[in-house]
Amino acid sequence: MHLEGTTTIKAARQTVWEFLTDPTRVAQCAPGVETVEILEPGKKFQATAAIGFGSVKARFTGTAEFLEMDAPNRAKIQAHGNAPGSAADVISEMALVDAPDGATELKWSADITVVGQIASLAARMMTPVSQKLTGLFFDEVRKRIEGPAAASEAAPTAPPATVAASAPLPAADPPAADPPAAAG
Amino acid sequence: MPDVNGLGHSMRRKEDPRFIRGQGNYIDDLKLPGMLWLDIVRSPYAHARIKNIDTSKAAKIPGVLGFVTGRDLEKYNLHWMPTLMSDQQMVLPTDTVKYQSQEVVGVIAADRYAAADGVAAVEVDYEPLPVVVDPHQALQPGAVKVRDDKDSNRIWHWEVGDPAATAQAFAQAATVVKEKIYIPRIHVASIETCGCVADWDAANKHLTLYMTTQAPHAIRTVLALVAGHVGLSEENIRVVSPDIGGGFGGKVPVYPGYVIAVAASVLLGKPIKWIEDRSENLAADSFARDYHITAELAADKDGRITAMRMDTVADHGYSDAQAAPSKFPAGLFHIATGSYDFQTAYLAVDAAYTNKPPGGVAYRCSFRVTEAVHAIERMVDILAHERGEDPAAFRMKNFIKPEQFPYKSAFGWEYDSGDYHKALRLAMDMIGYEDLRREQAEKRARGELMGIGLSSFTEIVGAGPSKHFDILGIKMFDSCELRVHPTGKAIARFGTKSQGQGHETTYAQIIAEELGIPAEHIKVEEGDTDTAPYGLGTYASRSTPTAGAAGALAARKVRDKARKIAAHLLEAAEEDLVWERGKFHVKGAPGRSKTIQDIALAAYTNHPQGLEAGLEAVHYYDPPNLTYPFGSYICVVDIDRGTGQVQVRRFVAVDDCGVRINPMIVEGQIHGGLTQGFAPALMEEMQYDENGNLYGGTFMDYMVPTAVESPKWEVGETVTPSPHHPFGAKGVGESPTVGAPPAIANAVVDALWHLGVRHVDIPLTAPKIWELLKRHGAALEE
Repeated sequence: MHLEGTTTIKAARQTVWEFLTDPTRVAQCAPGVETVEILEPGKKFQATAAIGFGSVKARFTGTAEFLEMDAPNRAKIQAHGNAPGSAADVISEMALVDAPDGATELKWSADITVVGQIASLAARMMTPVSQKLTGLFFDEVRKRIEGPAAASEAAPTAPPATVAASAPLPAADPPAADPPAAAG
Repeated sequence: MPDVNGLGHSMRRKEDPRFIRGQGNYIDDLKLPGMLWLDIVRSPYAHARIKNIDTSKAAKIPGVLGFVTGRDLEKYNLHWMPTLMSDQQMVLPTDTVKYQSQEVVGVIAADRYAAADGVAAVEVDYEPLPVVVDPHQALQPGAVKVRDDKDSNRIWHWEVGDPAATAQAFAQAATVVKEKIYIPRIHVASIETCGCVADWDAANKHLTLYMTTQAPHAIRTVLALVAGHVGLSEENIRVVSPDIGGGFGGKVPVYPGYVIAVAASVLLGKPIKWIEDRSENLAADSFARDYHITAELAADKDGRITAMRMDTVADHGYSDAQAAPSKFPAGLFHIATGSYDFQTAYLAVDAAYTNKPPGGVAYRCSFRVTEAVHAIERMVDILAHERGEDPAAFRMKNFIKPEQFPYKSAFGWEYDSGDYHKALRLAMDMIGYEDLRREQAEKRARGELMGIGLSSFTEIVGAGPSKHFDILGIKMFDSCELRVHPTGKAIARFGTKSQGQGHETTYAQIIAEELGIPAEHIKVEEGDTDTAPYGLGTYASRSTPTAGAAGALAARKVRDKARKIAAHLLEAAEEDLVWERGKFHVKGAPGRSKTIQDIALAAYTNHPQGLEAGLEAVHYYDPPNLTYPFGSYICVVDIDRGTGQVQVRRFVAVDDCGVRINPMIVEGQIHGGLTQGFAPALMEEMQYDENGNLYGGTFMDYMVPTAVESPKWEVGETVTPSPHHPFGAKGVGESPTVGAPPAIANAVVDALWHLGVRHVDIPLTAPKIWELLKRHGAALEE
């Protein structure tokens, strides 16, 4: 499964870079992430995330590692996670360029391979749900970077991401969309 | 005295009172004292190296008692097992996994819940390896190699017929048609999944294996052969097959779960139960079909078929675990010449390994007959349409004629009997064929899509003659042991095993017909290897042709002995006695008679000197030939141009399975079989993505038809007895499953031919037909 997109964030490139390469802050934006543990600062970390595809739910445990970092321009990250009977591999790249009015344009792509029960049971929902979760993630990233109050506040961990089975999914009502920190 | 209920009586099924009251005895009903549970960790990857297995977290879960890995089994050389085709299959891997959902670790626990928790907590570290899922790719040079112990992914190449003569016939033909036809991978999806309880008695070195198997005797022998070195000896193995909730061929193979359960029971000295869940059953048990056929048919200027050629790629997954006789690696695929009279043909099959579960089983089908019939019936339809001839008239012109039987096919099979014209004519009359063609023309003029599809199949069942058929070297005879009790009641045991076919009733009726003992008074038993005579089991519509024949012949042996006893009782010469069903009377003196019940009592109380006491017989029946049931099916479909939905409006099935034992049961078999033919035609397919992930591991995605989707079946019959079967029966279970898919596919193509559609692969799902309609400019869009 290949996903990609572009989003514009109203912040300087260095600010966006620092946010997106900080596992702790990134994790707070990612739907379903429960724990983050830094294994090698700036390089490698471990995370647990609960992800649901309709009625099929799984808790993935895995590691992520920055393969390439060219501050503040581009980065490449590789992640591998396991859940009972399933496994997922992700290679994701991002590139930052200056946009008008002091904003930054973020181009990203992700190649996701899911195998096992999750892939088998939730195959037809995999792409729409992944797109939805990615959208939620970048919405949250943008909110936190653009809203200074949010950035300084320690946000609680996002609840497990569960998205209803109907696809394409509405943008408004996912359970993980509005952590309290972003509301103000 | 109740009715005898011999052949031709629709007596109610003797087994139904317990089934409809929920009092059946299925494998999961069995609970033994001290019994533990096995559940299985399965691979998420279709191909990967196992780097590490960590059971430490799982071991801490309360109730989890132990683990079985490939390394554990390797110590006893039990980490692999032979398949039904003498290939090899891992029981548990020691190094690599080769398909998704492959068994990796067995978890033993005190109950089902702890076992499942234990499975979730076992951590396996995999190194993913490249995957090949497409058999055509697998056969290319440089493809990912599936098997470490083989040189390539080509399992075998098999061919039959005369390629030169066939090429010449094609060169001289007036019309030639060619099409690529895929018969997709499907699953038997029986309502009961597979399972067992393995009970090892260490003191007596005795194993009782209660198991969902269609072939208990073969299982016992295979266990003794592959596990003799660890102390399993055939006299100390008892396989018991309890009530079975549907088999359809899926319960013929040995799956790793059975072997792990046996190994765990032997290691722990406790009874071990293993029951698959639905997803495990769909994802890991043997699939069926998966044949990619390139078919060609040639005709002369008068539209007579002159030759056939088929080139096939067979996807077997990671191991050749199909159910097929050892002489015929592609099963009976060479029945692909069908019901038609031509003598030039050539057929080749290449089998490939891929990173998919191993198989394939003969799902309600005698060894690849479904694939053969689909190919020939589609091709005959394409040829008729191509020549602008009516498909019914075209078939009538090309059928083997009644007077040509016994008929030797281009590939050498001797069809025992048939009247194909009569069956098709009856089907046409029942459905009102000519009126339907007029209606179709009117609708087409209005832009509506209606199709009429035919299938005039010939089946090849009742394996089989021992000169041709064996499974792992064991010849495919079958058997009956019949004992008549002093009070005139009887017990009959058979080497087969009913999975819902109604053997307890139909076998009793066969013996009732022969002896005149009411069927109600004859108890039928199967499935316990300690008591039943040896047989190869129930599949391939073989029970009536083989074990049913054995039952009739055992009864005739009993009758021969009864004649001696009757002669003694009536003080007459044996040759002066006349048998009328249920009694002997003295020729010319009908009043001087003894009933079979009188004789049975005398066999134990007053038997003649010089004759053994008792009244019993055993018969092992090795049929002289296969039987060739046939039928003609006609299907009418309407296609919604707005959605692509195919609606089966009518379906007429005329079956000729020779003499019918219990017409009600035959009709039930036909209804069930038609529904299981409707399913792959319109709904079912096991699809895999490029990583070897199965799409459709639940009944949410693997669509089996319910009463809601199923059409109303209209059935008719002709009776052409088998000339060589003791009472003329042929077998029926699989005919409708084999015959229905091409009738439906032919109807859909018939509806679309004028748009330029020549062929569509099954399943004919709404999205697929919708795409086709769009491509040919016939879709109704907003």
